[in-house]
Amino acid sequence: MDWKDLESDVVRCSRCGACQQVCPIFREMGTEAAATRGKISLIRSAIQGWVPDSAALSERMSLCLACKACAANCPSGVKGDQLVLAARQRLVERRGLPLIKRLALRFFLRNRWIFRTGMKLGPLGQRLVLRRIPQGSLPRLPMGLDRRRLVPELAASPLREGLPECIEAAEARGRVALFTGCMVNHIYPEIGKAAIEVLLNQGISVLIPPDQHCCGLPAHANGDGDTARELGRATLETFQRYPVDAVITLCGSCGSTLRHEYLEWFASDPALRPLAQSLAAKVQDFAQYLANIGLRGALAPLDARVTYHDSCHLARGMGVTREPRELIRAIPDLVFQEMETPARCCGAAGSFSLAHYDLTRKINARKTEDILATGASTVITGCPGCIMQLKDGLYQQNTKIDVIHLAQLLRQVIIRNPIPPTLALNSDPETRVLP
Amino acid sequence: MLNTETRQALIRILGPEHVLETPEDLLCYAYDASPIPMDPSRMPSLVVFPGSAEEVSQIVLLANEKGFAICPRGAGSNVSGGSIPDRDAVVMVLSRMNRILTIDQLNMTADLEPGVITEQFQNAVEKVGLFYPPDPSSKGFSTMGGNVAECAGGPRGAKYGVTRDYVLALEVVMPTGEIVHTGARTMKSVAGLDLTRLLVGSEGTLGIITRITVRLLALPPAKKTLMAIFPDLEKASETVARIFTGGMVPTTLELLDKTFINAIEDYRQIGLPRDAEAILLIEVDGEAESLDRQADRIAEICRQHGATRIQVAKDAAEAEELWIARRSAFASVSRIKPSIIGEDATVPRAAIPQAIREVQAIAARHRLTIGVLGHAGDGNLHPTILADERDPDEMRRVELAVEEIFRALLALGGTLSGEHGIGRMKSPFLNLETGKAGLEVMRRIKQALDPKNILNPAIGLGD
Repeated sequence: MDWKDLESDVVRCSRCGACQQVCPIFREMGTEAAATRGKISLIRSAIQGWVPDSAALSERMSLCLACKACAANCPSGVKGDQLVLAARQRLVERRGLPLIKRLALRFFLRNRWIFRTGMKLGPLGQRLVLRRIPQGSLPRLPMGLDRRRLVPELAASPLREGLPECIEAAEARGRVALFTGCMVNHIYPEIGKAAIEVLLNQGISVLIPPDQHCCGLPAHANGDGDTARELGRATLETFQRYPVDAVITLCGSCGSTLRHEYLEWFASDPALRPLAQSLAAKVQDFAQYLANIGLRGALAPLDARVTYHDSCHLARGMGVTREPRELIRAIPDLVFQEMETPARCCGAAGSFSLAHYDLTRKINARKTEDILATGASTVITGCPGCIMQLKDGLYQQNTKIDVIHLAQLLRQVIIRNPIPPTLALNSDPETRVLP
Repeated sequence: MLNTETRQALIRILGPEHVLETPEDLLCYAYDASPIPMDPSRMPSLVVFPGSAEEVSQIVLLANEKGFAICPRGAGSNVSGGSIPDRDAVVMVLSRMNRILTIDQLNMTADLEPGVITEQFQNAVEKVGLFYPPDPSSKGFSTMGGNVAECAGGPRGAKYGVTRDYVLALEVVMPTGEIVHTGARTMKSVAGLDLTRLLVGSEGTLGIITRITVRLLALPPAKKTLMAIFPDLEKASETVARIFTGGMVPTTLELLDKTFINAIEDYRQIGLPRDAEAILLIEVDGEAESLDRQADRIAEICRQHGATRIQVAKDAAEAEELWIARRSAFASVSRIKPSIIGEDATVPRAAIPQAIREVQAIAARHRLTIGVLGHAGDGNLHPTILADERDPDEMRRVELAVEEIFRALLALGGTLSGEHGIGRMKSPFLNLETGKAGLEVMRRIKQALDPKNILNPAIGLGD
């Protein structure tokens, strides 16, 4: 791919600087190259040949969370995040991927069976490298993870394992396919289980395509367009086989990839474009789907104070901000306290936080501060990536505040099971009540 | 190029974490928010981030000793090219010095460092019922130091004036390295020459501002927005002066022509009148009881001068819709053409109708689309040229048109720049306004204060 292809978007950046106001990276670093207009100016420089395809250029382009805040705030409507991702792709084409990413993306993630086997073997070995503490685990060895970082363990058994392909609801009023996403499937199966239980309770039959795999975003975000499209193609082909009302996602990043990115990735592919269009029309976030069909039956009261964190890709990618709040506000007795700028990025951004842990911690610390100011005992969000990050931030501040997915909150007030929502499904076999 | 010894001396003063040296970083300081094309030959040698007036002073002394130029910079959000360096200059970014030092509620003043973001400062004083009015469109990311150096304005200038009207005192590192305190904390002071006024708007050529003392107002308790719709641009522009001669002082009085009205409606459907030739967006503020009276009186004046419809925002949400429309102006026209050249020439209020006629004639002559929107309340028109930087012929016509606009508006008793500054962009035209002798006086002042031409050479003084 040519740098020149990006020129028509690059020239629309007037360099006004409005991106500086919202860019979380600029806020921490304060250097021009950190803000979007700096990155766009570097892309302009690459087009003109003023900079080589250098390691320093790759490093500058890696400093973006793809949180889309700049795009949402840009007076000229420039999609800065898309330009940075396009630049990463060009740099990967020219400079190649670092070995560790090549292994992770092209060997491990791209091959569904290797990935699944690895994820299954992972739990057996992880106690060797992770040290358990009450809130989660800490790495014993660096192994690509900062040793200060609170990380979740891989689930002993992934969500999809042992679930049938189709679970019919009694007196069904709808039928959906669930895109589980990697993090829910392998790290937080309890989120998936909560979502399935809520949907079934609400009279929605749930199909769980067993062949599904990663949406491809991690590869796309790292500039590996080939792997991303390969994974996208597989997702499209899998999901087109299921005649459903909607495809439900539990993660804003997966959801916006299925709904928006595929349309871009396959724009000029005559075979896949129609599949991407029909999938895009069906993809809905869990909260969005439930708020639209309306909850059935009374919700149990919950005496707690919660706040809500908007995942970047759920809020600015899928445009879902109203629906989760409606559902939270519908719960009797629950006190909902908004935090300051709830849609500001928590700094996770997938593998970004692996490569730039110190920066990610600074960004996260501001989010933690905003959460603490609300006095909430639990943070609700719609993205497992944010959950992992927010938990780490709260752990670093020594707080007892919990972070759960909206599906887990709804499960509590719909299924009326007073279990602590995060860990219960893992530790208590009694609560595995799936039909 | 800076020699190694000088580089090392700079790094010693600041510490390596506050110096940028990599070409990929330096390139990002070869531009600002002006339409001047990015040029790698203007890449600075080094970018430094001092943390105190003392560090600034040490660097300026070193510059005098070693003979390198310094280009001070805030957020780089100015639109005149005032922070674009010369080859080999050192760019000095003041963003690290970003503390609000005191907000004195009883004396209604505040002390702050130059790197404070304008809007963050405004929010901080509004929390205690005070008000800092200047509101450049870039206030969400511009720095107060930059605002002072450029004498920033904004829509509220119609009633509240510009940055100059609020700065009481400054701490400044002079081009020869001395740290000087200008002005006084009092509401009046005539002790010696008014160095504060000399430095406000000096575009980083006469000193580096390291501390600012501003006066504040009491926050007006309420405001109201109305929109007057005109079937004729001329009539709308004539109305502007009439509102003021009618005894009214709106906070903000913005004029948008049909190019902007339609572009905004295309972009986000707000319900602006597509059949109108122009609209005036007007905000009044003050005691809640006075607002209806003010709005009624302004509506009456607008009707007398040809407005066919007046729409008063029912509540804050509806008012916000209208101001979102105004703020979307540039976004919306950037969808017509990618390169937006916003001019800033300003005329006395009564000359606005003639100024608009001249701009339209120039647009027709050079086959360009020039939209008119502006802070009409203070005569600050922003004729906006829509072009494509990839079309050399069009860009040449833009250059010709810009010069003709300058000449035409100066002939109407106007000024080259209301609030954007001269910078690099308008420097060649400055003598049109000041005359040869006037420019010479400015240069003598620069020469006297900065004998080695260290600070922002080639900016703002007709070079």
